[in-house]
Amino acid sequence: MKVKTIAGALPLGVLWGLPLMAALVLGVVRGVDADAWRALFEHPQLWPALWLSLFTGIAATGLSLLCTLIILAGLYRTRLWNALQPMAAAGLALPHLAFAIGFAFLVAPSGLLARLAVGGTQPPQWSTIQDPWGLALIAALVLKEIPFLLVTGWSALSRGDQAAHLDGQCRAAASLGHGTGSAWLRIVQPQLLSHLRWPLVIVFVYGSTVVDKALVLGPTQPPTLSLVIWNDLNDAETATNLRGLAGAFFMSLALGLMLAASGLMKTFMARLARPLLSAGPSLASAPKRVAAILGGGVVLLSGVVTLLLAVLSVSPRWPYPAIWPPVTGTKAWLSLFATPAPLWTSLALAATTAVVAVLVAIIWFETQDPSRDRYLLVPALFSLAIPQLVIGGGQYGLFLTLGLVGTPTGLFIAHFTPVMAYVAIVLAGPWRGFDNRYMAAARALSSTPLRNVLRIKLPMLKAPLLTAAAVGFGVSMVQFVPAQLAAAGRYSTLPMEAVTLTSGGNRSLTAAYALALAIPPLIVFLAAGLLGRPRWR
Amino acid sequence: MTPKLSRRGFTGLAASLPFIGMAKADEGWSAIEKEASGQTVYFNAWAGSPQINDYIFWAGLELKAQHGITLEHVKLSDTAEAVRRVRDEVTAGKADGSADLIWINGENFRTMKRERLLFGPFAEDLPNFALVDVDGKPTTRVDFAEATEGLESPWGMAQLTFFGDFANVEEPPLSMMELLERARVNPGTITYPAPPDFHGTTFLKQVLAETMTDRSMLAVSVTKEEFVEASAPLFGFLDKLHEHLWREGKQFPPTQAQMTQMLADNELLLSLTFNPNEPANLVANGMLPQSTIAWQHDIGTIGNTHFLAIPINARAKAAAQVTANFLLSPKAQGRKANLKIWGDPTVLDLDKLTPADQALFDTTSTPGALLDPAPTIPEPHGSWVPLIEAAWLERYGA
Amino acid sequence: MALTLRGVSVSLQGRDIIKAFDLDIASGEIVTLMGASGSGKSTLLSFIAGDLAGPFSARGHIMLDGQSLGSLPPERRHVGRLFQDDLLFPHLTVGENLLFGMPRGERASRISRMEAALADAGLEGMAERPPHTLSGGQRARVALMRALVAEPKAMLLDEPFNKLDMELRGALRAFTFDHLRDQQIPCLMVTHDRSDAPAGGRVLLLKDSMERDD
Repeated sequence: MKVKTIAGALPLGVLWGLPLMAALVLGVVRGVDADAWRALFEHPQLWPALWLSLFTGIAATGLSLLCTLIILAGLYRTRLWNALQPMAAAGLALPHLAFAIGFAFLVAPSGLLARLAVGGTQPPQWSTIQDPWGLALIAALVLKEIPFLLVTGWSALSRGDQAAHLDGQCRAAASLGHGTGSAWLRIVQPQLLSHLRWPLVIVFVYGSTVVDKALVLGPTQPPTLSLVIWNDLNDAETATNLRGLAGAFFMSLALGLMLAASGLMKTFMARLARPLLSAGPSLASAPKRVAAILGGGVVLLSGVVTLLLAVLSVSPRWPYPAIWPPVTGTKAWLSLFATPAPLWTSLALAATTAVVAVLVAIIWFETQDPSRDRYLLVPALFSLAIPQLVIGGGQYGLFLTLGLVGTPTGLFIAHFTPVMAYVAIVLAGPWRGFDNRYMAAARALSSTPLRNVLRIKLPMLKAPLLTAAAVGFGVSMVQFVPAQLAAAGRYSTLPMEAVTLTSGGNRSLTAAYALALAIPPLIVFLAAGLLGRPRWR
Repeated sequence: MTPKLSRRGFTGLAASLPFIGMAKADEGWSAIEKEASGQTVYFNAWAGSPQINDYIFWAGLELKAQHGITLEHVKLSDTAEAVRRVRDEVTAGKADGSADLIWINGENFRTMKRERLLFGPFAEDLPNFALVDVDGKPTTRVDFAEATEGLESPWGMAQLTFFGDFANVEEPPLSMMELLERARVNPGTITYPAPPDFHGTTFLKQVLAETMTDRSMLAVSVTKEEFVEASAPLFGFLDKLHEHLWREGKQFPPTQAQMTQMLADNELLLSLTFNPNEPANLVANGMLPQSTIAWQHDIGTIGNTHFLAIPINARAKAAAQVTANFLLSPKAQGRKANLKIWGDPTVLDLDKLTPADQALFDTTSTPGALLDPAPTIPEPHGSWVPLIEAAWLERYGA
Repeated sequence: MALTLRGVSVSLQGRDIIKAFDLDIASGEIVTLMGASGSGKSTLLSFIAGDLAGPFSARGHIMLDGQSLGSLPPERRHVGRLFQDDLLFPHLTVGENLLFGMPRGERASRISRMEAALADAGLEGMAERPPHTLSGGQRARVALMRALVAEPKAMLLDEPFNKLDMELRGALRAFTFDHLRDQQIPCLMVTHDRSDAPAGGRVLLLKDSMERDD
C-alpha cells in the first residue's frame, strides 16, 4: 500500500509537482524587491486598474454563472440535453483571443452592427469597445465562459451514476408536488454548484488577469491591471520589469483575498438559501423559454463571430460602411500554410500533453486516498490563480539552470504544467464522485483491480475522461507566455505566431491564425462529445 | 509594420567617437566567411508584419545559397524579450546563447551595451559598412544619443510620418497646431496611441519639440524641476487637444497597429508610423486604399535608425557578422527599400554605389509614398522620456 | 378518495404488454400488483404518476376522485410514490427532506408538523441529521413520512421494501399500511414478494392480461 502510494504519486511529482514548485520558488525570489514594490505603489494607475480588473473578473464570473444555470435549468431532462454538450464544446474550442477579434469587429463603432444599423460615411461615436467600464470585455468573457461552465456542469450532471441518482431524485420531487423549475432549484442546482466551484475560480482568475483579450476590447485609460503589468514586463529596463513582477504578485495577492472572501460569501449565501430549499412544493416549471433564448443567443453570437473571422481572414481591407469587403484574397491563408511547422508543433504538443496528463491523473486517483487529493488540487488551482508571467518566469529560470531552455523537454513541461492542472481539476469531481459500489460489485465478481478500472470505471467515466482530454488539448493549444520563454526561439507554436502577428495589427492574417487555432480544438471537443455520449441512455 | 524596436528613445550630443580601425584585412574577413559556412544564425527579430517576415525569409534563401548559412527567424512581438533572454542566459553562465543576431535600437541597445551583453565592436569592420551614409545619416552611428561604437550594424531608417486617405484629408495638417484645428473641425476622428507605447511616446516628443520655446533643451539631460516648466506648453496643448479627440481623449488606442486598423475602417482620419514607406506598403498590400497619402510636419519630425547586434554569448558569431554584412549589401538594402516588398528606407549612401548597384533601388513612386520629406529632429535626451510618460500617466492615466 | 383506471394498456414498440384493463382502488385500499420482471409493472406506475419515458408507451384514463389526471404533469397529480431506493435528497437534512414536500404555509406550523411526523416514525430529534447518517430502516421511514406529509391523494409503491432485511421489512410494511389506511389513501403496490401483500387485500397478477387472484 505504501509502495503503491509513493509509486502512484511519482509521475505527477516528477512531471508536474517538482517543476511547478521550483518555478514558484524561483518566481517568488525574482519578485522580492523592495524598490519595485515602492515603485508599484507610486504607480498612478495601480488602484483604478486593480478595481477594473476585479470588476471585470467578478462581473464576468457572476454573469456567466447566472446564464449557465438558467440554460442548464431549462434544458435539464429535456430532449435537447444531449445536444447541449457538443454545442457548448464547440463554443469552448474557439480561443479567447480569436473570439475577441471577431467580437470587436461585430460591435465596434466601425463594426458590422454599426454598418447595418447606422450606416453613413462615418462610424458613430459609440463606446462599444474599449469602454471605460470594461463592459465589452465582460461581454466577450461571458460569451466564452458560458460554454466552459456548461461543459463542466453538463458532465457533472451526466455522469452515469450521478445522472441516475438525480433522475430518481427529480421523480421523487415531482411526486411530492414540485414543478420542474422547483426541483431544479432545490434539488439539482445545490448539488451541481459544488462541482462548479473550481471552474468558477478559473473563470474568475482568467477574467481578472487576461491580457490579450483586454488589449483588444478592454478600457485603456486606465487599463486593467494585467495590462499595466504587461507593459512593465515588456520594458527593456530591469527596474521596470521588477515593478511588473511585483505587480503580478500584488495581483495574485488581491485575487487570493477575493477568493477567500468569496468562500465566506458562499457559506453566508448557503445559509441564507437554506429556508428556500425546504420552503415546500412550488409548481414553478423550468425556465425553458429564457434558457432557449440565452442558449440560442450564445450559439448565434459564437457562430456570427466565427463567420466574421472567416470573412476577415480573406479581406485585407474592409472599410466602413461596406457590408461586404470590397476586395478578398487568400493571401493570409497562403502565408499561414507557407510555414506549417508551428502548426505541427502545436498539434503534437497538445496531443501528447493531454494524453499524458489524463494518464498521470488516473494513476494518481487510483493510487491515492481521496483525502490526499488536496495535494494535487490546491497546487493545481494555485498554479492557475497565479499570473502566467510569474510561473513562466520562474520556470524559465529553472530551465536555464537545468539547460532545458530551447529543448523539447522544456517545451513539453511548459505546456504540461497548465494542462495537468486543468485536467486534474476537470477530472477530480467525476472521478471521486464515482459510485464505488460498482467497483465493489466488480471485485465481488473476483475480477482483478486493474481489470475493474479498465473495464468498469474507465468506460463509465468515459465522458468526463474525454472532456478532460479535450480541455487539456485546448489549453495546450493556446499556451503562450511560459511556452515562449521555454522555447527561446528554437521552436515556434501557433499561438506564438499569432500573438507576434497581432502586434503588427494585420487583421486578416490574425483572423486566419485565430481560426487555425480554433479548428483543431473544435474537432477534438466535438469528437469527445460524440464518443463520450453514454450508451445506456 | 513599423518595427517596435524599443519603447524609448535616448539621444544627446552627437558624441564623436574615436574612429575604430577601418575594415580588417581582406583575409580576416574571408576567414570569418569560411567559419560562417554551415553555421545556423538564430535571428531574433520583431515579426508582426508578414512583409518583413517574407523579406527575412528571402534573406535566408540568399544566405544559404551564397554562404551556406542557415537563417532561422526567431519571431518576436517585442524586442525586449530577446534582451531579457540574453541577460538571463549570461547571468546563468550560459555560453552558448539562444540568439545570434538581434534587430535592435534605442533603449534595448542602450541596456545591452551598458550591461555588456553585446559582442564587438564588429559593425564598422563589415566590408559593406563603407557604403553607409554616416555623414548624411548621422543616426547610423548614434542610436538615440548612445554611440554605437561598432556594437551594432545599421540596417534601416525611421522617421515619424502621418498618413490618411486623401478623400478625407485633402489638406493634411502639417503641424501640431493644424492638427488641433483639424480635431476641432472633425471631433472624434483623431487620436494617438497611449504611452508608453513607442509611437504614443514619440507623438508626445513631437508635440514637445513643436511647442517648446527653446528646443535645444531637448538635446541635454533635464531635471524634474526643469521639466515641469519646459513641459508646460506640451500639456497645455494636450489639454486643448484632448477634448476633441476620439472618445474625447478619455480612452486611447493601445497600439499604433490598432490605430492603423481604425484608419482602415474609416473610424479615424489619420494614423502615424515610424516607417515613412509603411503607408505605400500598406496600399501595395491592399490594407489601405490607393488614395492614401503620407506626410510629415513642416518643422521636421523625430527620426532614428534601427540596427543589428550580436549578443556576447552568440554561438554563431561569424555567421551573424556575415548575415549583418549581407543585409547591408546593395542587393539586400535595395530589396528592403522597395515599397512593394517592405519599404524600409536604406542606410546606404546611393552616391557611393556603382550604377549597377544603384539600379537595384527602385525609385519609382507608388500610391501612399511620402512625397515631401521633412528634416529629421533627433530623439530627445533619454532623461526626458520617463518624465514625459510619468507626467502623462499622472494627468490622463486614470 | 379513490383511484380509477379505465382501459389502461402498456405497449413496447407497438406491442401491448399489458392489455387494456380497468381497476378501481377505494380509499384506504391497498392493491398489490405482481408479475415477472419486464412485465410492465413499473411502467404502469410511471404512467399513473405521469413521468413515463423511454421505449414504453401507455394509453387509457386515470381518474383520482373522479377527476381525470389526463396530461397533468407529475407535480400536479398529487400522486405520492415510494421507490426501491429511498431517494432522500443528500444535500438536505432529514427535516428539510420532509419540509420539501409539505405544502406551503406558516413556517412554525410546518416545522411542528415535520417534528410530529418524525416522532410518529420514531425519529425524534433527528431533524438536523444528514440522511446518510441514518440506518436503512430509518431512511425508509423518512422516505414514507416525506411522501405522506406531501398530502397525496393516492400512493404508488414500487417495491419499497425490497432492499430491507426480513425483520425490518415486516415492521416497515405494517407501519406503511397502517398509515395509508389511517389517512384513507388508495394505494397501488408493485412487488415481487407475495408476502408483501396486506392480509385480505386484493392481489393482481400480471400475465398476458390482467388477472385477478384473491
